[in-house]
Amino acid sequence: MSENRSALAPLIELRHVDKHYGSLRVLKDITLSVHKGEVVAIIGPSGSGKSTLCRTINRLETIDSGEIVIDGEVLPQEGKKLAELRAQVGMVFQSFNLFAHKTILDNVIVGPREVLHTPKKAAEEEAMRLLKRVGVEEQARKVPAQLSGGQQQRVAIARSLAMHPKAILFDEPTSALDPEMIGEVLDVITELAKDGMTMVIVTHEMNFARRVADRIIFMEDGAILEENTPEAFFTEPKTQRARDFLNTLKDRDK
Amino acid sequence: MKNANSDIRRALYEAPGPRARRRIVIATVLSLAAIAVLAALILRRFYVTGQLDRRYWSLFTSASTWRFLGEGLWGTLKAAAAAGAVAYLFGLALMLLRLSGTRALRWIGAALTELSRGIPTLLFIYFFFLVAPKFGLKLPTFWKIALPVAISASGTVAEVLRSGVNAVPKGQTEAAVSLGMRHSAVFFKIVFPQGFRFVLPALISELVIVLKDTTFAYVVSYADLMQNARVLISNYDALLSVYLVVALIYILINYLLNRLSVFAANRRKRGEAFNE
Repeated sequence: MSENRSALAPLIELRHVDKHYGSLRVLKDITLSVHKGEVVAIIGPSGSGKSTLCRTINRLETIDSGEIVIDGEVLPQEGKKLAELRAQVGMVFQSFNLFAHKTILDNVIVGPREVLHTPKKAAEEEAMRLLKRVGVEEQARKVPAQLSGGQQQRVAIARSLAMHPKAILFDEPTSALDPEMIGEVLDVITELAKDGMTMVIVTHEMNFARRVADRIIFMEDGAILEENTPEAFFTEPKTQRARDFLNTLKDRDK
Repeated sequence: MKNANSDIRRALYEAPGPRARRRIVIATVLSLAAIAVLAALILRRFYVTGQLDRRYWSLFTSASTWRFLGEGLWGTLKAAAAAGAVAYLFGLALMLLRLSGTRALRWIGAALTELSRGIPTLLFIYFFFLVAPKFGLKLPTFWKIALPVAISASGTVAEVLRSGVNAVPKGQTEAAVSLGMRHSAVFFKIVFPQGFRFVLPALISELVIVLKDTTFAYVVSYADLMQNARVLISNYDALLSVYLVVALIYILINYLLNRLSVFAANRRKRGEAFNE
């Protein structure tokens, strides 16, 4: 029955979302739906509000007006309800944010142990499976500081998967990585896309977005300027702003 | 040898060149000479005034003197350990109040912290020694010194802990709440353990202050090192020699505590070094 509901209604829905920092309007009337199994890439220049948008979806940023609905439920403002909804939506950060005082294995099991109350043994077995899936099972007993950035980010993805989320939000997952490590993280995300994970990905990696996303959202100055298929967006964008943005990137790559 | 001090030196000054090195050598020799002259003058005054006489020092050849000082030292260590433990507990409680989500509790936490930090230890001791008994609160002698010293230190402990908690990057909290963890779990499982590690060296250093504050034990006639020293002085009329020996014992213990603190700081730094 809930299968039926999620097949029809969007998994993540933002309706007329507005946010201000003082007099600066950082999100302008954002309306956006993400369906189950869909991969949406949000791109745009720095300061366009794409990270802020991503972070509103699990209320790491509050909104001033509008509505955010996740799997048919309006995102609660606080308390147990909010925690429960957050547990269903994974988040991967630009700066990994692995728990610095815990081993890699403990980083992955802390969510299931604390929130889902999974027995320790079962949580550890699944954590090892997930660490293997992202290719860092050898590092399970180390602490985050002993791992490379690419490895840390892959652990962060495993930590998020351990909660069996309905969707995962990626906030510039490769922006803090050395160039040679970007590929290994993008490969993991690509695998997730193939497995049908619902994902919202804020990224500067255009080739990756084009390859993995079902839909591209182009943002500038806090507003969504264009929503398009990857093919159409990268070959013949509808808006002049998007064309300018893509041209700047091309010039830089020359 | 890499340690906290050499790191600070490197951050503040560039490596000296040949001329600077020569100036450093000259300044070192001159100041060592000045210190030697000063020490010689002091020793000479002692000699002239008869403080180096055998009768002032012979008490240290008898085992009973050392046993008596040893008992005093044991009393000091017990009182300092108890006061330190209670100060950590009270400090933790004050910090939790101060970080509470309720404004009234935050205010109470801040007020108690300021009281603890602002009132001299001796006043707390007088309170438990002179005032509290009048209202029926009669503590054993041991706690008459340990409790006020603990209360006096707890405000600083609270502030040190709070600075540690505030130093934990915000991303740690964000990652934890994103997993669906509740506030208390986020604080006690993720934030506090890291903040505690940041300030562990400062917490150990605070024990030095606690230990020095226990010398107020003479007020309540608790037999600590200082109190026993006073007994020796009045028995042997040997003021200078006894105070010198006792000062050396205090220096030794506090030096060991400070080494422990530096050790804890370096251990943490080594842990962090992997990050680069």
